[in-house]
Amino acid sequence: MGTVLLAALVSGATSGILAVLLVVAERYLADYGTCVVDINGGSKRLEVQGGKTLLATLMQEGIFIPSACGGRGTCAYCKVKVREGGPPVAPTETALLAAADLAASVRLSCQVKVRNGLAIEIPESLFLVKQFTGVVERIRDLTHDIKGLRIRLVDPPAIEFTPGQYVQLETPVYGDNPEPVYRAYSIASPPSDREHVELIVRLAPGGICTTWVFTLLKEGDTIRFNGPHGEFRLSDTDAEMVWIAGGSGMAPFWSIARHMREKGIQRKATYFFGAVKPRDLFLVDELRQLEKELPSFRFVPALSGAEGDGWDGEKGLITDVVGRHVEGGAAKEGYLCGSGGMIDASVKVLVAKGVPQERIYYDKFT
Amino acid sequence: MKRDPHLQNVVSRMASGLLSRDGFLGDDPRRLEEILDADNSAVVGLGVTHEALAATLEGIFEKARAGLGTPVPIGGRHVAVHHEAMGRIPCPWGRCGVFPKGEVELADTATGEAIRFTALSIHMIAEHGFYQGRGSRYRLEPAALALFPPAGSTPAGG
Repeated sequence: MGTVLLAALVSGATSGILAVLLVVAERYLADYGTCVVDINGGSKRLEVQGGKTLLATLMQEGIFIPSACGGRGTCAYCKVKVREGGPPVAPTETALLAAADLAASVRLSCQVKVRNGLAIEIPESLFLVKQFTGVVERIRDLTHDIKGLRIRLVDPPAIEFTPGQYVQLETPVYGDNPEPVYRAYSIASPPSDREHVELIVRLAPGGICTTWVFTLLKEGDTIRFNGPHGEFRLSDTDAEMVWIAGGSGMAPFWSIARHMREKGIQRKATYFFGAVKPRDLFLVDELRQLEKELPSFRFVPALSGAEGDGWDGEKGLITDVVGRHVEGGAAKEGYLCGSGGMIDASVKVLVAKGVPQERIYYDKFT
Repeated sequence: MKRDPHLQNVVSRMASGLLSRDGFLGDDPRRLEEILDADNSAVVGLGVTHEALAATLEGIFEKARAGLGTPVPIGGRHVAVHHEAMGRIPCPWGRCGVFPKGEVELADTATGEAIRFTALSIHMIAEHGFYQGRGSRYRLEPAALALFPPAGSTPAGG
């Protein structure tokens, strides 16, 4: 009996000592203290509490690195150059980073823990990215599978951006979705409407974000996003432009076209909008009106599967229609927005028409 | 086909709401190992390989993709349409990279039945022998896929 009691006492004491040791270890050994993150060779210097990922740490400091997966190491969007102080490359990074990226010290910021001082490089444009909260002012059905969102900004109350840029829309937790996820959407409104942001969202079967937009989101709901992001924009030349996009790929061009109208930019632009059936077209009246108000702008919708639908406009794949209309590409520029397949096919036809590859700009969905 | 010793991690990444709204296991009551074993046995019994079936799907996928949303005839009896979608999705095995979203719907014009698959579907068949759980939108039956002519061959009927 005495032996049993003694054993129980020793066991309990040992457990207690181990527990204390664990607490002490967590308090002192896992505490990385204050770490200095040097950004862009001294351009900005952050003193932060170590222990979190670089992505989360920067977000806390108001620097928003693009991320679609909320830091789960699955989207590969959150790339940052870590020049000094980074930990060894994780297996999750080697799966998603090309050899050239790794050679250039590019890392996934969601996989880099801040444990000591770091020297990193990020695009200067990221310093302009902010977190926004807004209210859904209007949800409009544009087609059977595309919705237009109009968001009134609350905090901050206004946004500055270049037409062609995008935001990262936050999908809140719902259903089986355990954490917020972020998805990129081009801004469809013109920069002059600083208090609002418009987005064009197409339903993707099984999509976490688009399911939320199409089934749960309501007018009056609070909505969050960060931005603006991206380099897709008009060049600083006067070259005639060929725009190609269908579906939700219209968004950046709807922003750019209205901006051109407001600023009286007379640069010649032809917008080829590809769809399959008449029901896939939207904003046609608005774009026809824009043609009247901006004589340098031409809108060419084309349907590839409209036999027997009474469509008397351009027929065929959008790339075939472009091939029929575009000549003398050497002096033109191409602007494309859409899926990888559409982009690849469009680049091919534009190059065949003489448009220099380095003057074809695109915002690839993938 | 090597089995990943960390299948439990894979299973957790296949859950609905994590990488996609519905995940990859559908309402299949079987464990992932059982799904993989059953489909592997089916493929072996058919005298084909996962890689060959994936290559067949890849050929159909590329033809549909070139159609830019327009129905493309496949053989004398099927029609494929590529539906584009924004973004990329990673493989739940976690070390294979990311794949473009968007699906191909392949319909039998005689029966109206259709299957759907994605670039990720093709990868998971080729690299992991995974055809997704029953009830999943992208579940593919090896026996049905084996009926399609191999990639690169000329199908009967054009």
